[in-house]
Amino acid sequence: MGIPVFPPRLESDLMKPFYEGLEAGELRLTADAETGDWIWYPPEIVPGRPHARLEWRPVSPLGTVYTFTTVVRSLLPGDHKAAVPFTVVLFESDDAPGARVPGLLVNLEGREPACGMRVRLCPVRAGDHVVAGFEPA
Amino acid sequence: MQGSRVAIVGVGETEFVRASPRSLLEMTVDASLQAIADAGLQPGDIDGFVCNRNSHSADELAFALGIDRRPFSAVTDTVGGTATAGQALVLAQLAIEAGLASYVLVPYGFQATRPGGPYGFHSREPLKADLEMPVGYFGQPSYFAAMANRYAYEHGMTEEELASVAITFRTWATLTPTAQKREPMDLDGYRKSPMISTPFRAADCCLMTDAGSAYVVTSVERARDLPHPPAVVAGVGMDTNRWPQSVVFTQNPDILDFPGRRSAADAFAMAGVGPGDLDLAQIYDGFSISAIVQAEMLGLCERGQGARFFHAGYAMPGGRMPVNTGGGHMSGGYLPGITLLTEGVRQLRGIRGAAQVPDARLCAVTGLGGNSHSTTILARG
Repeated sequence: MGIPVFPPRLESDLMKPFYEGLEAGELRLTADAETGDWIWYPPEIVPGRPHARLEWRPVSPLGTVYTFTTVVRSLLPGDHKAAVPFTVVLFESDDAPGARVPGLLVNLEGREPACGMRVRLCPVRAGDHVVAGFEPA
Repeated sequence: MQGSRVAIVGVGETEFVRASPRSLLEMTVDASLQAIADAGLQPGDIDGFVCNRNSHSADELAFALGIDRRPFSAVTDTVGGTATAGQALVLAQLAIEAGLASYVLVPYGFQATRPGGPYGFHSREPLKADLEMPVGYFGQPSYFAAMANRYAYEHGMTEEELASVAITFRTWATLTPTAQKREPMDLDGYRKSPMISTPFRAADCCLMTDAGSAYVVTSVERARDLPHPPAVVAGVGMDTNRWPQSVVFTQNPDILDFPGRRSAADAFAMAGVGPGDLDLAQIYDGFSISAIVQAEMLGLCERGQGARFFHAGYAMPGGRMPVNTGGGHMSGGYLPGITLLTEGVRQLRGIRGAAQVPDARLCAVTGLGGNSHSTTILARG
């Protein structure tokens, strides 16, 4: 399995805490600071609550694969032929069901990816940066 | 809004090709002139435009078509097939019934092979650039492939059942001289199609097409004086969900829950018919899973039975509910939504030759735009 190398664009500071969390081995998601509801992905404005404030909170690294696909032909801009195949999952932390985090599925050691698979956070280094990754729990 | 007040009276298309040397404007104008002529009209008869936010504007098109006045013009604000196969008809009917226009042109052009292609608008989403592209989750084939895997998890779906969608539409394309992919394809042929993003092979994906397409809408009264039997817009339903394009492919609680059930119910209610009354359907097939789920939403089969509906052959030539009789977007050509609508019009006119559904009187056409959906019921006038 390969690893695509495509640095996050990070045009604003909005997503920096996410990547700082991964560097620290932590998965951090955004929640409404007042209600505690998970608001993910972090929008510019909380739906229906334009004055609400978001805060980053660590969540359990354990969770479930909602769905997945193994990319055989990458459509990322640029030449990513060398990186394929790789498997992408939408991960749901046990602490935040329904808040789905896209990540690479790694260290499968012969197991087939599957919906419902139990996995844990395993940040993956891709060139100079770290991306969300998960491995079988 | 009431059904059966307006009709599609002219349709036109340019050749469906993977990479055309012609400009987008040239193809759109060519298709528009064909549609106007097909309606028995002159360009100067057109007094309304419903354009697409991803295509040319009314002033550019009117100038190119030699039309001086455009008392009514509007732009659809949904994407994909929802705009051309549903929302444009709603806007056209509103304009016609309000007396703002008599003959409304709906022009559309698409160049899938232009730089950035159909994925370009996704790459411009900051959240996708920050969260999805760094792990390679990018482009509609991967989004819909992940949906297909979830569908298989929830309902069960064999490779043969998934393949039957592509095989069905290809079979119709072999009967359609204008279809972009006409070589026959069986299960072995499907398995030779290159894997893109599991479980999708290239055959599960819509084509890359450069072409123009257009149609003309007028009142059913005026339609009676025009050359072809009108395709009456008996019902239109539209619906959306709350999720913007940036998150709909990951955060929709049920990623298979396109807003199609409400749009179908509204369209059937307006038309005063039900799914059992249909003679055929054109279902937006950006990907095979899209057609599977929408066949269920349209009421052609029970929830969770869409793949088995196609595998049973019901949608094939001679089947009880022919679907995508021009090859759809996966084998016919990909001009989102509009070519499904024009195929429905031609079927109701009875001019589809080897692909003609006998005595076709009622055709449903669906459009999907990720977070939006349309259902249109066309009736032979």
